[in-house]
Amino acid sequence: MAGYGHVTTGLPITVDHLTKQFGHRGTTVTAVDDLSFEVSPGRVTGFLGPNGAGKTTTLRCLLGLVAPTKGSVLIGDTNYAHLRHPATVVGASLEASGFHPGRTARNHLRVLARASDLPVSRADVVLEQVGLTSAAQRRAGGFSLGMRQRLALAAALLGDPGVLLLDEPANGLDPEGIAWLRGFLRHLASTGCTVLVSSHVLSEVQQTVDDVIIISRGSMVQSGSLEDLTAATASHIRVSSPDREALATALRGSGSSGSGSKVEGGVEGGVGVELATDGSGALEVTGLSAADVGHLAYTAGLELHELHQVRTDLEDVFLQLTQSGSEYNASIGATTTAHEGGVA
Amino acid sequence: MIGSFRSELLKVTSTRLLLGMIIGALAFTALAVVATIFSAGSQGTPTLEDPAMVRGVFSSMGSGTVFALILGVIAMTTEFRHMTVTSTFLAEPRRGHVVVAKMMAQAIFGALLAVSCILLTIGLALILLPLKDHAPVEWDFVAQVAAGSLLTFALFAVIGVAVGALVRNQIAAILATVVWVLLVEQLLTAFLPKVGKWLPGGAANGILQAAGFDASTNSLTPSPFLPVWGATLLLIGYALAFAGLAAATTLRRDVS
Repeated sequence: MAGYGHVTTGLPITVDHLTKQFGHRGTTVTAVDDLSFEVSPGRVTGFLGPNGAGKTTTLRCLLGLVAPTKGSVLIGDTNYAHLRHPATVVGASLEASGFHPGRTARNHLRVLARASDLPVSRADVVLEQVGLTSAAQRRAGGFSLGMRQRLALAAALLGDPGVLLLDEPANGLDPEGIAWLRGFLRHLASTGCTVLVSSHVLSEVQQTVDDVIIISRGSMVQSGSLEDLTAATASHIRVSSPDREALATALRGSGSSGSGSKVEGGVEGGVGVELATDGSGALEVTGLSAADVGHLAYTAGLELHELHQVRTDLEDVFLQLTQSGSEYNASIGATTTAHEGGVA
Repeated sequence: MIGSFRSELLKVTSTRLLLGMIIGALAFTALAVVATIFSAGSQGTPTLEDPAMVRGVFSSMGSGTVFALILGVIAMTTEFRHMTVTSTFLAEPRRGHVVVAKMMAQAIFGALLAVSCILLTIGLALILLPLKDHAPVEWDFVAQVAAGSLLTFALFAVIGVAVGALVRNQIAAILATVVWVLLVEQLLTAFLPKVGKWLPGGAANGILQAAGFDASTNSLTPSPFLPVWGATLLLIGYALAFAGLAAATTLRRDVS
């Protein structure tokens, strides 16, 4: 049995060409489609995708609860089912509903501690860790969603594992709870734990994760570090003037002088000027700062009615990625139908 | 396995399930004792001066076996109902071990249920029998029925776990169990006694050595059931058959 206090570092997680199909009233639903990724120790990895993308199914495959149709899922170099003391290697919180409503929080954890051959005193330690000590003697049936999430996290921590798999852990937590969870997961990763956190909202885990794995309709959309994803997000300047044509000419003319700082493909001189798609008549400018645009308008003697920087939200990028992913999947397989209930 | 077993013990003692089953079984048993004593001598049944009728009173201690069955069914199906099966299988991925540990734990709780029914029956009988003229109590028979009750309740709880593993829907499993015990089995035993003795209920009667009430002669006759050892093996066989079927089918299913 592993010692307490993270003497052991986390093991990597390897998902290799994982496919899971569910038979459902004669039709086959592909919940996970040839998915491969790795999760490294010492980092918090966000496992992202819309509801029904196959996140929970992937996690359940990793934990031996669901049998993969194809492919392999490894914790370190072994299957979960072959771990000798699973609770001391992997901790998982899969859903907030897995409690007997008539059992107290402490007894719920004691039941699990005994099943994993851990001292029952661990129950009180993890209750303290997640801030549920005062509710230890209360029946879980009366818990709020946030308290259930904390209790599920406590159960995952029982064996002081080096690998944590958390399914939507921020669901139902208040802002204070989310901030606490963020600090807690960052701390665990800093001690060498492997932390995989699923979410359908990128902004929820944006400040927590180092790496992201984004899936949609069971397939990989993007994986890598959060910085890479952030770098891919663009920003532009929105500007409007009663004399739109003159402004556009002035802005385009600036490109030849080389003041553009950012190159956009196909745009002359690095400055892009496009009509805003919202029909307002405003222009969207890339490759210039707001100050550049203001200065150009001033020297051209043009009146401005609007001038500000629009930053593309990371969440929008996430939505674009997952939506295009779903279109892609819909076009390659007519049998791939959304199956929210069973897959999510 | 020891960890899983201890976990299963705590699962039951940390909820109110066992208390509910004990109350149900005690009420059922009390009704059987009282009904046997006060109906004796009326409607053509022998009076309590017939030793067989006194034996019948004490046989009531084994009448609540259905509660042991339901205890086992609920212990297993509650895992699926509240999805605690997820954390149970995470702690012990060898699912067969979980079911065996649960059977062992429920055997103990089934026996505990039997102990409460035995004590209640003896207590009630000793209070109520003196109210009427009755044949002397045959304590060696009482001891035999008590031992039989312990064994039957324990085995029924084990069968309940196996049934629950097979029929994971709690309501369906309880309904099927109750309908079987209180209706199907009764009818089969009444109309096809040769089949009846091979059913779980018939095996239980074999172990309990309960006197069968013969409607044709209006008298209590020696039981036409299997011998104790045969009936015990039969019940173990039922438990293994259900558990084996569950291991080959429902236990392999995805937990999602």
